[in-house]
Amino acid sequence: MSPADGADVPLGALTLGIRVGDGGQGEVYDVDGGPGRLLYKSYREPRKVDGGELGALVALRQGLAPADRDRLDRETAWPLCRVMDGGRVTGFLMHRAPDSMTWRTSRGDTRLTELSYLLRAPKAAWQAVQQPSPAERYALVVAVVELFQWLHALGLVVGDVSQANVLWTVRPGPAPYLLDCDGVRLVGRPPVLEQADTPDWHDPLASPGSVTVDSDRYKVALLVGRVLGQDAYAAPGTPLQPLPGVLDDRRENAVRALWEQAAGPRGSRPHLGQWRTALAGRDTIRLLAAEPPPKPTVDRSKFDGPRHRGRIPLRD
Amino acid sequence: MQILPFYLLCDESGSMSGDSIDSINGALPELHHEISTNPTVADKTRFSLIGFSDSATVLQPLVDLSDIDEVPALAAGGLTSYGDAFRTLLRCIEADVAALKAEGHEVYRPVAFFLSDGIPTDSDWEQAYKELTQSRFCPKIIAFGIGEAQESTIGQVANFRAFIQKDTSVSPAQALREFASSLTRSIVRSAGSIAADGGNGFTLAVDDTVPGFSTVSLDKL
Repeated sequence: MSPADGADVPLGALTLGIRVGDGGQGEVYDVDGGPGRLLYKSYREPRKVDGGELGALVALRQGLAPADRDRLDRETAWPLCRVMDGGRVTGFLMHRAPDSMTWRTSRGDTRLTELSYLLRAPKAAWQAVQQPSPAERYALVVAVVELFQWLHALGLVVGDVSQANVLWTVRPGPAPYLLDCDGVRLVGRPPVLEQADTPDWHDPLASPGSVTVDSDRYKVALLVGRVLGQDAYAAPGTPLQPLPGVLDDRRENAVRALWEQAAGPRGSRPHLGQWRTALAGRDTIRLLAAEPPPKPTVDRSKFDGPRHRGRIPLRD
Repeated sequence: MQILPFYLLCDESGSMSGDSIDSINGALPELHHEISTNPTVADKTRFSLIGFSDSATVLQPLVDLSDIDEVPALAAGGLTSYGDAFRTLLRCIEADVAALKAEGHEVYRPVAFFLSDGIPTDSDWEQAYKELTQSRFCPKIIAFGIGEAQESTIGQVANFRAFIQKDTSVSPAQALREFASSLTRSIVRSAGSIAADGGNGFTLAVDDTVPGFSTVSLDKL
C-alpha cells in the first residue's frame, strides 16, 4: 500500500469521489476505497510542481520513528505519497482531518473548524462551533507552539500560517491540526510550489514570497497573540489584550514581553522555546555561560606613567 | 479594516414572477450561509440588496451578512425602471461609503451585480446610468441578462463583465441559480485577497464564464 510505504501511486489507480475542497493551487477529492480516509490533492498546474521536493516531504515522514510518524499523522495532513500520471506529479494523498476538527452548519453542511473561529467573538451563523473555555484556549495555544517547535526541530519551515490552515478542537481535549503541508519545506530547500502567503499573515520584514524559520517565528507570534486576544488582526507593535482568564499575571507579563520582541528586526523574533517558557509561566534564570568572561584588571601605570628617558652615549 | 461592498440589483418586474423570483429568493439563504459561516469573508465584505421594478427599493441596506438572520424577499410586479435602480444605487453608495469611513474603515470601490430579465421601460435610464458611472465612487458593474433582456443593453450596463442567458439550454430559474453561485464565489474569492490593513489592494474575482450564460464582450459594444 503506497500511503503506508510512501511509494508513488499512479493516478489511474485512484477512484476519486466528490470534490471536497477548492483552493488556489489545487482541488481536493475524496478517494474511494482507499485504506482509511484519504484525500487526493490535485494540482491545478502540475508543471509548476517540484516533484523532488514533494518526494522529500514524503521521505521525511517515512524516515521518522513510529511514534513520531504517528504524531505527524495526528497533527498534520502530511503528504503520504505522490500521485503520478505519465511520469509527472499531479498531486498527493493525505489523511482527512479528524471529524473532531469539523462542525455542521445549520443547513447540514460539514465545515472545517478553522483557526478563524478562535479569532473573533462568536456569531450566530457559526454557533455550532463549540468555543473553548479560557483554559482550553490557553491549552490550544500551547499545543500549536509545541507543534511548530517540533516541526522546526525536524528541520522544517512551515511557511504559510493562516486562519485557514490551522484547525483545532477541544474534543476530547485541546488539539491542533495543520493543513496544506505541501507548503512546508525543508530548511534551505525550495518549496514544492511557489510560496503561498495569506493576507493579514505575512511577515512585514520578509521579502514577498520568501519564508524562513524567522518568518515562521513571526507568524507564530501572530497566532499566539490573535488566539489569546480573540483578535483576528492583532499584530506585534500594537498592545496585546489577552481574553480575561486565559493567562495568569506571570504568564501575561512574559507573553507580552515576547509579543513586543516579535515586532523587532529579523533574527530577533522569539523562538518557539521562548514562547513555551513564557506560556509555562516559569521564571527564567540568567545563565552565566552566555556572558562574556570578566576582563582582567589592567595596570594602567605600565602604559601611561611618566617616562624618564636617559641618554645613551654612542662614543667612548 | 478594508471593506469591499457588494450590491445586488435585482429586477423584480412582473415578468420575473414565478420560477425566476422564487429561484433568486431561494438562492439568497445559500449566499448568506456561505458568507456568514466564513468569518474572514464576512469581516471584509458588506452586502446590500436592491429590488427594482416601477421604482427601486432598498430591501437590505448594506450589512455584514453575519449580522442578519433574515432578508426581505423579492416580489414580482410592475415595469422595469433601470433609471430608478441606478439612482438608488448611487444614493446608497454615497451614504454607505461615508458611513463606513465614519466607522474608521477604508472602502474599496463597490461592486454591483445587476440582474434583469427584460428591457428598460423608462426612457431616461441612460442619464441615471451616466450619473452613476461618472460619480466619485462609480462601482464596478457586472451585468447578467436572462429571458427577454437584450445583449446590447446588458453590455451597455456592465463596465466590468456581462453575461447573457443562453437561449434554450437552460431555464431562467437554472440560470439564476448559477448567477447566485457566481455572485457568492465572487464575494468569497475577492475577500480572500484583501488584507485588513490595506496592503497592495485586492483582486476583484469574477468568473470568466458562468454556466448557462454567454459572456458578452464589452469591447465590441
